[in-house]
Amino acid sequence: MRFTIFQESRKGSRRINQDRIAYTYGRDTLLMVVADGMGGHAGGEIAAQICVRLFVERFQQEAKPILRNPLKFLQDTMLRAHAALGSYANQFSMLETPRTTCVAVVVQAGFAHWAHVGDSRFYLFRQGTLIGSTKDHSKVQYLVDQGIIGAHDVAQHPDRNKIFSCLGGLVDPVIDLSKRTPLRNGDVMVLCTDGLWSVLPQHEIAHWLTSQPVLKAAPAMMREAEKRGGPDGDNLSLICVRWGPETLTDEPSTTITETMGLGEFETQIDRTITLTDRKGQQRDLTDDEIERAISEIQSTIQKYRK
Amino acid sequence: MPVTNQALPGGYQLLNYRIDRQISRGGFSIVYRAFDDTGSPVAIKEYLPSSLVLRTEGDVVRASSAENLTSFRYGMKCFFEEGRALAKINHPNVVRVLNFFRANETVYMVMRYERGRTLQQQIQMRQDQMSERFVRHVFMHLLNGLREVHTHKLLHLDIKPANIYLRTDGSPVLLDFGAARQTLTNTRPKLAPMYTPGFAAPEQYRDPDRLGPWTDVYGVGASMFACLAAFAPQAADARVQEDHLVSAKKIWAGQYSDNLLEVVDWCLRLDPLERPQSVFALQKAIRDIPPKKRKLSILGNIKRVLFSEIRA
Ligand SMILES: Nc1ncnc2c1ncn2[C@@H]1O[C@H](COP(=O)(O)OP(=O)(O)OP(=O)(O)O)[C@@H](O)[C@H]1O
Ligand SMILES: [Mg+2]
Repeated sequence: MRFTIFQESRKGSRRINQDRIAYTYGRDTLLMVVADGMGGHAGGEIAAQICVRLFVERFQQEAKPILRNPLKFLQDTMLRAHAALGSYANQFSMLETPRTTCVAVVVQAGFAHWAHVGDSRFYLFRQGTLIGSTKDHSKVQYLVDQGIIGAHDVAQHPDRNKIFSCLGGLVDPVIDLSKRTPLRNGDVMVLCTDGLWSVLPQHEIAHWLTSQPVLKAAPAMMREAEKRGGPDGDNLSLICVRWGPETLTDEPSTTITETMGLGEFETQIDRTITLTDRKGQQRDLTDDEIERAISEIQSTIQKYRK
Repeated sequence: MPVTNQALPGGYQLLNYRIDRQISRGGFSIVYRAFDDTGSPVAIKEYLPSSLVLRTEGDVVRASSAENLTSFRYGMKCFFEEGRALAKINHPNVVRVLNFFRANETVYMVMRYERGRTLQQQIQMRQDQMSERFVRHVFMHLLNGLREVHTHKLLHLDIKPANIYLRTDGSPVLLDFGAARQTLTNTRPKLAPMYTPGFAAPEQYRDPDRLGPWTDVYGVGASMFACLAAFAPQAADARVQEDHLVSAKKIWAGQYSDNLLEVVDWCLRLDPLERPQSVFALQKAIRDIPPKKRKLSILGNIKRVLFSEIRA
């Protein structure tokens, strides 16, 4: 597989970041997941974190070397995450179950498969045209479907944050599954939370990502979205993938998985450190951890080099 | 006799960098000027917390005790955090990290070398008042950089004129990411940061759970104050006991715009909630320069005259 991938999560103007994002890939399969947690105190962060970790762990267990049934994997994992959040709340007798949205995508054998719960979105663009997307499980989306409001009213609507399906909570989630969708080189996949899509309309996203290399456009999009979010901007997260070799840039930015060993995975979980959360347990670093930290920093330097 | 750490000697070959000379030495690190293999200058920061490790000769760093090794390694984690965060920030007003590596049993951060001097030196060298234009210029640009820092989930926590570098073309660069050090404070007193009195916000002394963008905003306010006064404002811990700080608006009335002075006072509020809550809010306040009210200036003058008469 060859692709160019970017991910970032930002706090926006909020005190804490309740979004979590991750991707992981082996030689022949790629998973991307975005979760936007909800609930008081640490609840939202915990929910999103549990969801994303569960996806990554199950993926690495089941992709041997590829998933037998990606859509079933997506559905099962969503249900397990839902159950895990319930038992977590029970275990710590939390008043409010931690809840989260989730959108996840699996690409293997040249096909994309996606699933979602809530209002975190997936877009699939081909030559700047939207050819696949999720439909929010939200009150405003319902109003749009009923023709009561227009699509462009969604971002500003007072009820825009009301979703009727999520992981965690009392009712079982509604999980939407996509079709098995063939990909072509140059297709662009986008996963994002409402902090991003509510300020960057889909046609603008399409324009950014088809006119510039992903590693240039995506960070610029995040900056712009955060700016537009202004002083009460929400957390915003984005994963972008350009399928196939990157042709828009002359610097090497394409991830090539053919050289990976069978059973090997590369994983990036965005560690969205909360500003106030700096009290982690003190522990000695092992040599191995030092090496890993250094190589991570070096790859970040490479990635953000102009 | 206090033992000090030896700096790497000039000419020392560190990976593909040749050390030229030591630029500065702080509690946590030594900064060198060096040249890379193309001969371009770079600045290299060597992690070397002076209370924990020793290098009395040679190049290899050794912890001064087994217990210190743990703290040394732990502090290294914080140096990594700094590197990790800075690596993501590619902004003209934030020092750029070029490389990061391990050698001599410690770690090194290579930065783009900047020519110029610190704002601290600039303040000390100047004979006359700094112009409003200059202050605005430096801080507007600096705030762009700081904003980028905050959006990457990092607090600086040590904003002061000594950590603001002015390039020869006048543009500012934010140096020295103290944020990582914050992690050190809670458990290991040995690595406790040296808060810079006058520039650290009150919550940095008392209430580490309340750190936020407003904490850096305090440092910005204090630095602006220092530009006008050529000295630091009263230290925040003392202010909490008994606040002697006279508002900028009183001290420099008429010499700088009300807007600028109000912004300085706003940033220096003791209650974190009363300060601008984000760099964005602060920039907005600075940018909203009230139009020069020519028509109203007579009124302003009257007020000023009245005020000085009352004081007299
Ligand atoms: N990239 C750079 N280019 C030129 N000079 C630099 C650069 N980085 C640092 N310096 C010089 O080194 C001095 C100290 O750097 P810095 O503030 O980062 O470290 P420090 O205060 O010694 O840090 P610590 O408190 O962690 O020991 C600066 O005031 C500046 O003069
Ligand atoms: Mg310094």
